[in-house]
Amino acid sequence: MASLEENSVLVSVQKLHKHYGDLAALRDVSFDILQGEVFGLLGPNGAGKTTTIEILEGLRQPDSGSVRVCGLDPAQESMTLKERIGAQLQSTVLPDKMRVDEALHLFAGFYRHSASVEMLLERFGLEAKRHTFFEKLSGGQKQRLALALALVNDPELVLLDEPTVGLDPQLRREIYTLVENLRGEGRTVLLTTHYIEEAERLCDRVAIIDQGQLVALGTPRELIARSGRGTRLEVRLAKPVGLDRLRLIEGVLDCHEAEGAYFLHAQPVTVTIAALVRFLESSDNALVDLHIARPSLEDIFVEMTGRRMEH
Amino acid sequence: MPTLRIALLTIRLVMRTKVALFFTFLFPLVFLFAYAGLIAHGNPSIVAYMFGPVVTLNIMGSGFWGLGMQSVMQRERGSLRRYRLAPIRPRTMLLSNLLANYLLQLPTIALLLFSAMIFFHMPMKIGWVTLWVLVTVGTFAFAGFGLTIASVANTMQEAQIYNNVAWVTLLFLSGVTFPLPVLPHWIQRLAMFFPSTYLVTTFQGAMAQAEPLLDHWMEMLVLVTSGVFGLLFAMKLFRWEKEERIPTKAKLWSGVLALPFLGMGLWMNTRANPTGMWARSYNLLGQGPAAASNPEAEKPNLIEDFDGIQASEELLRRWQVSTDSGAAGQSMAEISLLTPGAEGSKHAMRLKGHLAPGPKNGQGYVSAQCEVQVPANAKGLRGIEFEARGESRVYQVGYHPPNAAPSGSSTSAASASANAAALPFPAISFVPGEAWQNVRVPVAWLANPASHGLAAGPWVLEVVVTGPPGEFNLDLDEIRFY
Repeated sequence: MASLEENSVLVSVQKLHKHYGDLAALRDVSFDILQGEVFGLLGPNGAGKTTTIEILEGLRQPDSGSVRVCGLDPAQESMTLKERIGAQLQSTVLPDKMRVDEALHLFAGFYRHSASVEMLLERFGLEAKRHTFFEKLSGGQKQRLALALALVNDPELVLLDEPTVGLDPQLRREIYTLVENLRGEGRTVLLTTHYIEEAERLCDRVAIIDQGQLVALGTPRELIARSGRGTRLEVRLAKPVGLDRLRLIEGVLDCHEAEGAYFLHAQPVTVTIAALVRFLESSDNALVDLHIARPSLEDIFVEMTGRRMEH
Repeated sequence: MPTLRIALLTIRLVMRTKVALFFTFLFPLVFLFAYAGLIAHGNPSIVAYMFGPVVTLNIMGSGFWGLGMQSVMQRERGSLRRYRLAPIRPRTMLLSNLLANYLLQLPTIALLLFSAMIFFHMPMKIGWVTLWVLVTVGTFAFAGFGLTIASVANTMQEAQIYNNVAWVTLLFLSGVTFPLPVLPHWIQRLAMFFPSTYLVTTFQGAMAQAEPLLDHWMEMLVLVTSGVFGLLFAMKLFRWEKEERIPTKAKLWSGVLALPFLGMGLWMNTRANPTGMWARSYNLLGQGPAAASNPEAEKPNLIEDFDGIQASEELLRRWQVSTDSGAAGQSMAEISLLTPGAEGSKHAMRLKGHLAPGPKNGQGYVSAQCEVQVPANAKGLRGIEFEARGESRVYQVGYHPPNAAPSGSSTSAASASANAAALPFPAISFVPGEAWQNVRVPVAWLANPASHGLAAGPWVLEVVVTGPPGEFNLDLDEIRFY
């Protein structure tokens, strides 16, 4: 399956621009995806994730910029490219009366090289549903069928557009396992998501995209380490204290109060905790509760955009 | 082969959908039984005549409401998007839909045919190959229509509007619902521009008179051409996504689809004039299968077809020729028996001669007349029609009581020629062409029809040659009441 050397660039996006009328959907977006990695495009709804993935699939034409996928130009070599990539849409719709195995056999027949339908049914837990009409499938089963269809041509690159959106936590975890298996097989995966935990759990590298612009790119660990907001301390005190006084504690970068708790962003955290204890002793106050949380991608997003992600 | 795969799966999906099954198989049968039972009253010959409209209705329905709407629905639902991710081109989707529509059409027509034969003893004058060609050509043509509408419509609602306008127009104005010969003349003229007219009348000609398909090769060619145009247009404007919209300017290109019909309609209106053929098929209604072997029974309301005349002498006994020689003119004319006659008939009559400048107003005058007996059921008759061809000049035709030369009106209200000399009886003008064409002389077109209507009894049919001096040559055949 893999014809490129490990860690070679499988997808290259350079200075991508796309407008819908007056709306700039993508502005100067550039990134590479290496062979064998799970790459995440993280951003809120309307950030430009789907536009990006559809350009990579050859479904949309960029206004400017260059795109190479598996060494091919999606706009010019769409038919060849489709043989090598598998894609799952945000929402897959098939005819109501189409059976699961019929769908897989039909789509497998469109490709020069295809995976075993029986193997796909087994892998995605659809054996018992093979004769079930599409209209009778649950949301999770439909999503699993969509993923199976994305793999029906045994692709080297899999593009998943918000594969867990609308699914309950259990089904979401099922999809996580399936994506992890794809990584285990050495396939390259590009997934878009607006779930922070999904990106942190599944992705080797993440590109954070907002309002059509790439605002951060790197491994989740790199992004978090790069964060200037420091570790977050959630503190509950015996007596109330002014935020101005808390900001004076050594290492505190920022703080705010919410629902009776104080949230301190601190760096380095050990220095701040020691200074906090000294401050409480000197002010005849006491620590009731303390939680320490490392920064998340959510924090990174807030830091980069000044807004929280909309779930 | 993706096209075949998708087509076969589409057929399977139709078989699983009750609504689709109803409209594909049961609904056409409902129409057959309604037409055959309520309109034809079970008369096998009339059932044969109505079979064409039933089949055309079914073909139209599958093109507009089946294929066309299905294409829009696929796009609206988003099911085309999944296909788009596969290495499939728009033409694959269009051809697979076209193929599925056609493969579903064949058993439906077979069902209609066998039902008509079994339940109504419909005579099968049409050959199997002819029937297959007609169904294939018709299905392809209306598939082109459906695909074109699906291409220009941006939404389901829009497609429904376009479909309804086309559907209702074709349904009521092209012989699908009402036989064309019973419709007003202007509607018959208008119908010559509609594709369903070509299919219905070709079916009726084949089913009622066993006309060979070659007689209708132009209609078939136009239908095939429109199907090709429709398919090409649909390929050009194919959209995978419902968000993709077609600008109004692009929609106007669909007008190209109308060009073959415009050309055909103009040709029919000016040159071919098939209303006579339509009427003949219609006039056979009610004769029953046994009548088919009786040639006279196939020619109701016949005045003169010249087929029974053996020699020109006999012709001269029935027809009188007069010229302006009695008024010092020098025009000359003769009538003779012509072999063969119009559209394969045995004989026709030829009126030939030279029109000299007239003695009074500068125009010569030649006329040929014969006595016709208007039958007792004359109230149902609307006029006299005949087949004519000849040199392109203005002739006039009318009828009047024997030995009467009414004064007053001279030419028809509808198409009097400016060059025509005043005649002492109501007449209309016509210009024959090189090919046989049908000419009608309706009572309603003649001045003062109250006094010159087709009352039962003897009348004189008179054809007059007048106008600029020169040679003339007019062939007449198949003169009948209608």
